[in-house]
Amino acid sequence: MATESEGVSTAESLRKTRTYGKFRCHNPTCMERIQPEKGKKTAKCATCGMEYRVHWVNPSLPRIRGPVWDVNRKLAEAKLKEKGVK
Amino acid sequence: MPLNRKIAYIDLTTGDIQTKPIPLEVRKKFLGGRGLDAYLLYNHTKKGCDPLGPENTLLISGGILTATCASATARTHIMAKSPLTGLLGSANMGGFFAPEMAWAGFHHLVIKGKAKNPVYIYIHNGEIEIRDARDIWGKTVPDSQWAIREDLGDQEVKSCVCGPAGENLVRFANVMTGIKNSGGRSGMGCVMGSKNLKAVATRGTMDIKIARPAEALEYNKRFIDQIVSAKVNQTQGVLGTPFIWGATNSWGGVRTRNFQYNQCEYADDIEPERIDEICEETMGPHHMTGCYGCQVHCRAQYKIPEGPYAGKYDEGPEYTSQGAFGGETDTPRALTVLVGNHLVNQFGMDNLETGSLISWAMELYELGIITSKQTDGVDLRFGNDEAVVEMIERICYRKGWLGDALADGGIPAAEKIGKNSFDYLIQVKGMSNLHSDERATPGLALNIATASRGSDHLRSRPAIDLYHLPQEVLKKIYGNPVPYDGPLSSEHTEYVGKPWQVFWHENCYMGVDCLGICKYHTTFLGATLPNFEDWSKVLYYNTGIEMTPEEIWEVARRCNMIERLFNLREGLTRDDLNKGDMLNHRYFDEPCRRGAIDVVGRKIDKEKFIKMIDELYEHKGLDEDGIPKPETLQSLSLENEPSHLL
Amino acid sequence: MAKALYIDYQKCTGCRLCELVCAVSHDGISNPARSRIRVIKWEAEGLYIPMSCQQCQEAPCMNVCPVKAISRDEEMGRVYVDYDVCIGCRACVGVCPFGAMSFNTIDKKVLKCDLCDGDPQCVRFCEVKAVDFVEADEVCILKSRNAAERVSAAGKEASALEAQL
Ligand code: SF4
Ligand SMILES: [Zn+2]
Repeated sequence: MATESEGVSTAESLRKTRTYGKFRCHNPTCMERIQPEKGKKTAKCATCGMEYRVHWVNPSLPRIRGPVWDVNRKLAEAKLKEKGVK
Repeated sequence: MPLNRKIAYIDLTTGDIQTKPIPLEVRKKFLGGRGLDAYLLYNHTKKGCDPLGPENTLLISGGILTATCASATARTHIMAKSPLTGLLGSANMGGFFAPEMAWAGFHHLVIKGKAKNPVYIYIHNGEIEIRDARDIWGKTVPDSQWAIREDLGDQEVKSCVCGPAGENLVRFANVMTGIKNSGGRSGMGCVMGSKNLKAVATRGTMDIKIARPAEALEYNKRFIDQIVSAKVNQTQGVLGTPFIWGATNSWGGVRTRNFQYNQCEYADDIEPERIDEICEETMGPHHMTGCYGCQVHCRAQYKIPEGPYAGKYDEGPEYTSQGAFGGETDTPRALTVLVGNHLVNQFGMDNLETGSLISWAMELYELGIITSKQTDGVDLRFGNDEAVVEMIERICYRKGWLGDALADGGIPAAEKIGKNSFDYLIQVKGMSNLHSDERATPGLALNIATASRGSDHLRSRPAIDLYHLPQEVLKKIYGNPVPYDGPLSSEHTEYVGKPWQVFWHENCYMGVDCLGICKYHTTFLGATLPNFEDWSKVLYYNTGIEMTPEEIWEVARRCNMIERLFNLREGLTRDDLNKGDMLNHRYFDEPCRRGAIDVVGRKIDKEKFIKMIDELYEHKGLDEDGIPKPETLQSLSLENEPSHLL
Repeated sequence: MAKALYIDYQKCTGCRLCELVCAVSHDGISNPARSRIRVIKWEAEGLYIPMSCQQCQEAPCMNVCPVKAISRDEEMGRVYVDYDVCIGCRACVGVCPFGAMSFNTIDKKVLKCDLCDGDPQCVRFCEVKAVDFVEADEVCILKSRNAAERVSAAGKEASALEAQL
């Protein structure tokens, strides 16, 4: 039918930028891509050391379920101390 | 043709009903939905009108593409002067109401006056009648809808209703349809209650002729492929919107204990995966449902697994309920979130405002600013699940001193409570913030400070800012459909370029609201989702209207400007903490205490923040006080408003 | 072998896109009253069931038709209405046990599923495949498999419960 002859829109062209099987580290100064091991439930960022719990939405789509809480709190408290926040 | 759907003017005081066609010139200026509603509100209310008086005008509409062969055109828009903020009131919901109203022949309703007794409006294939609703008054949101079906003897009738909260004039009552689709925020259900209008019911079987059906059908397929191939929508389709709360909480962008923390720690029990487990246990593996014509199906179904409400069926909970009844109040228990969600759905009350105010009261209670005498004995400490559930009911039915005070909204409650309670109230323009914490994300902070309906994430949030998109991608998105060659930053903690992004999203979201399409189908949570260029085709195939992407952008700017004009007329001033474009001081004074390592310690730099507002005003064509420059109004053909075209 | 519509209502999200694309592809018009497939809902329980023509072997609509406008098209595996012959008496609407034969009051014509001549649009657009198009002899195997899964799940649950005793 008629529409296929038309050009691809900007949004459609961006589809090829999608990456599957990875997510970005949540740490704003890091934001490195992390590729969790297939099916594994945790992943550690090689760059900044944050540790995450992983959930697999489907076999090729992992997401960060949340941080590993104990590690997360320890890192946060160290940072607060470093920044002198009471 | 979708273009022959009409507008109806209904006066509840006199019972007078008039219908009119919507001229093409008006369509081309405002399209429909929220944009045309904004025009109508500005034209059909007088400055300073009482939001709860008969002179307030309630607008209910579908978008220009509603029920056409476009994807996810389920949205119903509701607008009036807000009884919560005294400024623009506006709410948008999914479900099946607006399409049904379109098949019944109408796109826009303008409802004025106040009925003597409770009534509902019934719209059926071109006809409108006002019917007695005395027997329906007092019923919950779903029960009201089932009662209307009984009354009309038609199980296919779709209604939007106000629940007990709206009847009790809770200032943040919702308009609702179905089990949980909520026109939440800014108290549109309260306006219905004030008019003695229990519901608008509709049933339609009138043809909507598609301008170019073969192309519309094929293009819709292509549009859907684009939607469902996005990772964000694949995730939504499995975990629903709770995944957003989960992701945000993970990095530290979620308000906890009102505003003391920016992350709800050890929240495993309300994380999306846990909620999903409960849905699966109670509703089976296929427990996702969706709005009209939508292939994302982001809405979960569940039954409350245990406790006094065990076995009750509901839908959701959305991320707002996790935030409102889990994080803010520091009660990260699934049962509390599921019950809280169920109660507000039954009552027809904004979950987001409710949870936010309860958590504010909890902070005040712990600080000794309110006492157990004022709470009538409720032990309002953070983490007290029973207190959260109890307060939801007290607010809806205005029970007890505090329940009644909170039902009037944050600012009036702060006046009653006194002392320095206002300092702790996390609001903009009198509307509470979402559960999100924007201290580490200046772009998102700018969005809530300047959103037209008060603190709000659905008006201009540059949410994709969080994805660290590369420069080339940012340039492609934000340089379209009008050129932008200013700076853009991939860092979401930065200040540069954010005003343009907020401006761009403001227009994008207005566009999608005029068309009547859901925001999960545009550049909101997914960077690769359709916007102006794609809409230009959808609009043409379905309605025959030829508009370039730039022209749609212009319409969006025009409609946003009308909303601004309305707010200015009703008293918005730039730096006013009650009614302006300004954030609570805590954003600037209290650093984040949790979250990803480099979120910890962050807060908003006030000086840079004010510069961002200046820049945003410039993009919008406002002067430094936030008032439109004459040339801006001229370029948008708004110099003669109100112009009373409709 | 002709294919048949296979409806797995448990997968249905209730979005009604099938109704829209059915009406638009046949008539160029959006109007659920023109759709050959209808999603029947029990909203209070969250139950949605798409209903369409079963293309019956001993089709009551075909048998009742006084002018023989309805016939079986074995190649397509469908029951077919010849509108050149149809007199619009609506006898078929009255006898269809599934309500799958309906009457369009605007064009004054009966309407039913024609399987879109082999490319059903409802199937094409349904992302969750609540409506699917499969080999006719597979329908019952799929249904059995579904039922068997439920039985085995129940069995597992039962033995888990027993183990706890
Ligand atoms: S219309 Fe009804 S009776 Fe006729 S073939 Fe279809 S299901 Fe059978
Ligand atoms: Zn990292």
